[in-house]
Amino acid sequence: MLTFTVRRLLYGALLLFVIVTLAYLLLYAAAGNVGRTILGPDATQATVALKNQQLGLNSPLLTRYFSWLGHALTGNFGNSWFTNQPVTTAISTRLQVTLTLVLGAVIVSAVVSAALGVWAALRGGAVDRTVQVFSVLGFAIPGFIIAVFLVRFFALGTHWFKPTGYVPIATSFAGWIRTVTLPVIALSIGLVAGVAQQVRSSVIDALRQDWVRTLRSRGLSERSVLFKHVLRNAGGPALSVLALSFVGLLGGAVIIEQIFGIPGLGQIAVLATSQGDVPLVMGLVVAIGVIVIVVNLVVDLLQGFLNPKARIS
Amino acid sequence: MFRRKKWPGAAAGAALAVLGPLALGACGSSSGSSSTLTIGVITPATTFQAPDMNWGNESLYNQAVYDSLLQTSPTGTIEPHLATAWSYNAAKTVLTLTLRTGVKFTDGTPFNASVAAQNLEAFQKGTSNNAGFLVNLASATAESPTKLVIKLKQPDPAFLTYLGQAAGSQESPKAWTTPTAKTVPVGSGPYLLDTKDTVVGSSYVFTKNPNYWDKPEQHYSRVVMNVYTTATTVLDAIEGAQVNAANTFDDTTINQIQNAGFTVYPLQLNWAGLSLLDRDGRMSGPLGKVQVRQAINMAFDRAALLKDMSDGYGSVTSQVFPTSSPGYDKSLDSYYSFDPAKAKQLLAAAGYPHGFTLDMPSISAAFGAATYALIQAELADIGVKVNYTDYQGSQIFTAILAPKYPATYFTLEEDPVPWQLAQFLLTKDATFNPFHSTNSTVAGYLNAMQTGSSAQAAVAAKALNQYLVQNAWFAPFFRPQSSFVADSHTTVKVQAGNAVPYLWNIEPKKS
Repeated sequence: MLTFTVRRLLYGALLLFVIVTLAYLLLYAAAGNVGRTILGPDATQATVALKNQQLGLNSPLLTRYFSWLGHALTGNFGNSWFTNQPVTTAISTRLQVTLTLVLGAVIVSAVVSAALGVWAALRGGAVDRTVQVFSVLGFAIPGFIIAVFLVRFFALGTHWFKPTGYVPIATSFAGWIRTVTLPVIALSIGLVAGVAQQVRSSVIDALRQDWVRTLRSRGLSERSVLFKHVLRNAGGPALSVLALSFVGLLGGAVIIEQIFGIPGLGQIAVLATSQGDVPLVMGLVVAIGVIVIVVNLVVDLLQGFLNPKARIS
Repeated sequence: MFRRKKWPGAAAGAALAVLGPLALGACGSSSGSSSTLTIGVITPATTFQAPDMNWGNESLYNQAVYDSLLQTSPTGTIEPHLATAWSYNAAKTVLTLTLRTGVKFTDGTPFNASVAAQNLEAFQKGTSNNAGFLVNLASATAESPTKLVIKLKQPDPAFLTYLGQAAGSQESPKAWTTPTAKTVPVGSGPYLLDTKDTVVGSSYVFTKNPNYWDKPEQHYSRVVMNVYTTATTVLDAIEGAQVNAANTFDDTTINQIQNAGFTVYPLQLNWAGLSLLDRDGRMSGPLGKVQVRQAINMAFDRAALLKDMSDGYGSVTSQVFPTSSPGYDKSLDSYYSFDPAKAKQLLAAAGYPHGFTLDMPSISAAFGAATYALIQAELADIGVKVNYTDYQGSQIFTAILAPKYPATYFTLEEDPVPWQLAQFLLTKDATFNPFHSTNSTVAGYLNAMQTGSSAQAAVAAKALNQYLVQNAWFAPFFRPQSSFVADSHTTVKVQAGNAVPYLWNIEPKKS
């Protein structure tokens, strides 16, 4: 297991290097005249030239890249070109917000989809058909449309929740609830639909297995059969879907944060990329790259825990 | 058969119940302290280091934490602030300012003439978008703690106005060498940036400066500026009563904003239309002929363009001077009427009976492909075939100012101070005069605007405006409406020539 973990980590580091190199080159190809973007049409050519010089944009591309890489390896990602905030501060502040939404969505999705999937698998009939219809709808309706609907009805209509913004839980628990609930629901619905279907299929498959009949014949309670054996067996595929979705949810959060005006990674990712804020975008690429690699590693390890057959020595 | 059918349903119910109480718990009234002003803004602060700060949309950040040497009233009148009196010499090249005493920055450094001189020199060498405003500054000298003498390379009629903007903002010079120079302001202004509650780029929180010298200008104990990046989120914040006042991206949501009980404070800041940059015909021969430029002006149905491009919010015009400028002439708004037949005649008279081809840059991502299609269609009707090259982001400015194109569509600012507008659009070295167009007539008017008395400058500005319209240096379509909005508890005075009202002009409504 240790060898496997180390190998995966090395592979992840190599992958990260390739990703950041490509991202850096692509960004510079698309960035345009950054000084002009920052200063706008009013600024004189001389001021724009000075700004570009201050940002180090007069150096050759490779010099800039290796300079950035050298600093990045020491944890110094520089300052945002557009807000002058240290990139590490910008990301760490906002990562908490985005992870709150994404983890909230994963937890809600796991609980709700497990319940719905098991319910549909066990009850069958109308319940199963209803869950399936809602699953298809959940898949078919994009999250941003659901988000707009939620804002209109539950924030602006009923005033139960806030239409925009984010209140940290340390500031006000009620405020936090009023700002995260709708975004989490908007992020969760598509995931609930997918995972519920996965759980339903896996549970139905597992229930048909001989070993389930054997367990029942040995007198185990239905609760024990379901929780200790069937769900554990069926949990693997669902966990894979959830894990893959975790990464997808980081992307989904970009849109949701825009709609709800939430100061998370998604909001600055959109702004920084469109503006050509290279230090900030590169910091985001590294942060998200590390998250993806770690999540995939954790999922592989969890898979081994849940299913001994999947364990890699 | 599996019998335990109830508990999975119960589990699902329990899962949903997780949200239920929380949602109910979230019910409650949204309220804020009446002494908190929450403003929706559309741009984050690029920096808080005074010599590098931008103006326009970012001016609110500046005014929260800094004082400027002078102030301007909503109509543009110069008023005292840190400088209590000022005077020019006869040649208008030496400006003497008398400074206020007893003002201290938040680090305890006293404000005086030496500090003011350092700030002016730092701004001139800095990277604010307005750094070019101090191009005529030759030197700034402290003759005494309260006497600042500014020498100019040449007369600059807009200089006092600039001292009421970012160029005149005063920060403790000691702050410029600290590691937090760009993120922690050290000013003497009415509010202090609360770095703990501020989320840079999203929400800026300011608290009342307890030691501020001009307490009547502190209308609130707390000011919050929330950054919104789309028109929809601004509208949601307004409808959800999360802001007291807000800037807007466009006019498409005006009706909904008014339905939410907000008052719209309209302002015209820009003109939209064609800049016919190559007036000497160096890149495009036809544009060098005045009849061709006039024909282009007659090709546009301005009323229809206003409706299509700006939802009818704004007013049509043929001039680049704003209504707030001494150079404005109401009759010039309708100088060119929509007359394709006459436009064709003018083209034929200029030697282009079959029209010609005009290359222009476009930035569809900013102005929309439809805008460019409309312009192309109207010019095609008089025989001018437009070829666009589309750009992304700021590269279009580089192309325009290179110059790579003889003409371009753009929405450009229209400054109320004629000399400021001239320095942006009209002088030989103006930013948006990439072909350095000039002639003795224009130079004469500009000289009178620069060196004459206020009355003489106003007359010259009017005459120059008339010349520019008659000779079709531009083909303006309309002045689009910008809208700042405020709720029923807040009153606002818009600032001529600025994207947002000045902070002290946003006040609680007196009942």
